[in-house]
Amino acid sequence: MKLARYAKKLSLLMLCSAAALNATAWAAPAETGARTLSALAVKAGVDARSPGAAVWKQAPVTQVDLQPAFPGHPSIVGTPATHRLTAQAVQAGDMLYVRLRWNDKTANTEMADTDRFLDQVAMQFPLSGEVTTTPFMGDGNNPVNIWHWFADGRTENLFAQGFGTATPVATKELTSSHARNGDGWDVVLARPLAVKSDEGVVLNGRKSVPVAFAAWDGDGQERDGFKAVTLEWWQLQF
Amino acid sequence: MSQRQLAYVFDLNKCIGCHTCTMACKQLWTNRKGREYMYWNNVETRPGMGYPKNWEQKGGGFKDGVVRTDGKIPPMADYGGVWEYNTAEVLMKGKGDQVVPHEKPTYGPNWDEDEGQGQFPNNHYFYMPRICNHCSNPACLAACPRKAIYKREEDGLVVVDQERCRGYRYCVKACPYGKVYFNLQTGKSEKCIGCYPRVEKGEAPACVKQCTGRIRFWGYRDDKDGPVYKLVDQWKVALPLHAEYGTEPNVFYVPPMNVTPPPFEEDGRLKDEPRIPLADIEALFGPRTKEALATLGREMQKRREAKPSELTDILIGYTNKDRYGI
Repeated sequence: MKLARYAKKLSLLMLCSAAALNATAWAAPAETGARTLSALAVKAGVDARSPGAAVWKQAPVTQVDLQPAFPGHPSIVGTPATHRLTAQAVQAGDMLYVRLRWNDKTANTEMADTDRFLDQVAMQFPLSGEVTTTPFMGDGNNPVNIWHWFADGRTENLFAQGFGTATPVATKELTSSHARNGDGWDVVLARPLAVKSDEGVVLNGRKSVPVAFAAWDGDGQERDGFKAVTLEWWQLQF
Repeated sequence: MSQRQLAYVFDLNKCIGCHTCTMACKQLWTNRKGREYMYWNNVETRPGMGYPKNWEQKGGGFKDGVVRTDGKIPPMADYGGVWEYNTAEVLMKGKGDQVVPHEKPTYGPNWDEDEGQGQFPNNHYFYMPRICNHCSNPACLAACPRKAIYKREEDGLVVVDQERCRGYRYCVKACPYGKVYFNLQTGKSEKCIGCYPRVEKGEAPACVKQCTGRIRFWGYRDDKDGPVYKLVDQWKVALPLHAEYGTEPNVFYVPPMNVTPPPFEEDGRLKDEPRIPLADIEALFGPRTKEALATLGREMQKRREAKPSELTDILIGYTNKDRYGI
C-alpha cells in the first residue's frame, strides 16, 4: 500500500515536472529526456575493462539523475548524497562494459571500523527484460538481476524479488575494475552478453534492455535501501 | 511471539564481579574469527560507563511502538581494542621484565571497574552482568529490513541468520542495550545466541552454568515451578532492565539491596539514608524497584529471626536443579 501511494505521488510529480518543462520550453538533452544509454559497438577484443581505456573517450556519455530511493523499511532514513552519475556503455563483440562515474570526495574503500560503510554502485535489470517489472527491486513474480560493486573491489551478482531479498548468485562472468577520478569514482562493470539464465539477465539477441542505477556514499553510512537511485527504468540500447 | 520463552534472572546481590561468566562465553563463542573484540556477556560496574561505552545513551528501542532510528552504531573505540600480552616472552623465555599489552588500551569491558560513585568512605558500586535480553519485542528484529533476525519458535531465543545478514547494522543501531555486534571479518552482525546448541542438548547456557556466585537463574518463563517464574511473577523481586526501551527484555535482575552500611555523616555517625540512592537503582529497573527491595528486606529479616522464607531459599539456589532445573 505504501509503495502504491509512493508510485502515485511519483507519477503526479512527473506530470507536474512535464508540465513545467513544456511551459518553459526547456531544452533537455535528448538522451536524458528519453532515458536511454546507447552502447558503442566496437569489434571484439577492444579493451574496455579499465576505466582509463581509450575507448571510453569515444563512447557516448549519458547523465543519469538520481533521487532518494523509496524507503522500503522504517529503519531506512536519511537523504543520500549522490545526485547524478554519468554512464557509458561499450559492446565489444559478445562483451558488455559499462563505465559509471560519480562524485564522492571521500573514498570509503575498507570497512575500517564497526561504524564504517563502503562506497557502492549498482546496476539493476529485470530478469524478464521487460519494463513491467517494478524497478523497486522487483517482486515475487518478477525478479531482478543486480550487478553490485563495492569500493573494496568486490563485485556481487545478485537476484532480488522485492525489498530485503537481494541474494548473491555465484557467477564468474561479472567482473569490475575501478579507479579514483579526482573527487569521484570511475567503475567499469563487465559481463558477457550471454550467460546461463540462472546466473543473470540474458542480453544477447536484444536491441535494448531496461536498466536502473544506484549509488551509495559510504561516508554517510549509506547502505541497503538508503541510496540514490533512478526511480524509473532506463533503456540500455545495443 | 514464540511459543515458549527462555528467561534469566540475575541476582545482583550475589554477583562478585569475577567475570567467570564472561570468560565462559568468550572461550566458547567469541575468541576467534573477528569476534575477538566482542563480549556477548560482560560484567560492568554500576554506576559507570558500561560496555559498549555509554550504551544507555546510544539510543534505539521503541517509541510509541515504532522502532527508533536515532540510535548509534558504536565505533570500535567504544568497545575497546583487542590487545595481546607478551606473557610467553616474559614468563617462558625470560625476555623483558614486564608483561604488557601490545597496544595501549583506551577502553574495554569493565574499564571503570570498582570506581562507582561518591568519595570514600561514602562511595558505592555494584556489578551488573549483561547479555542479550532475548526480548519478546526485539528492536534488532524489528529494525532488520532483510528479516535476518528471528525469534526461535521453541524457546524465544533471538538469533541472527548469518546467511541472510548483509551487514547493514540497523540491528546494531536499534538494540538499546548495545548487544548486537558487527564482525569486521565476515561483514555480518552477531550476538549472543543463548547457547542454543547447549540448550538443545538439555544443558544450561555456559554463562549460567559457570557462574561461581550462583547468581543466575534460568528456565522457561511459563514454568510455574521454575525459579524464573517464582522470582519474576510470584515474588516480583526480579525486574527488567530499562523496560522503558519497549523491547520486553527476558533478563530480569534482583536489584541490589543496601546491605552495606549507610553513608557516614561528617561526625562519623551513620546517615539515615541508603548508601546506593534509590533513584539510581530505579533509573535502571523502574518504579517497582522500591516494592521489590521491600519484599527482599522483609524476607531477609525473617531469616535473621530464624523463620523460614521461601524467597530467600529460592535466591540461595542450593543446587543446579534449583537454579535452572538441570
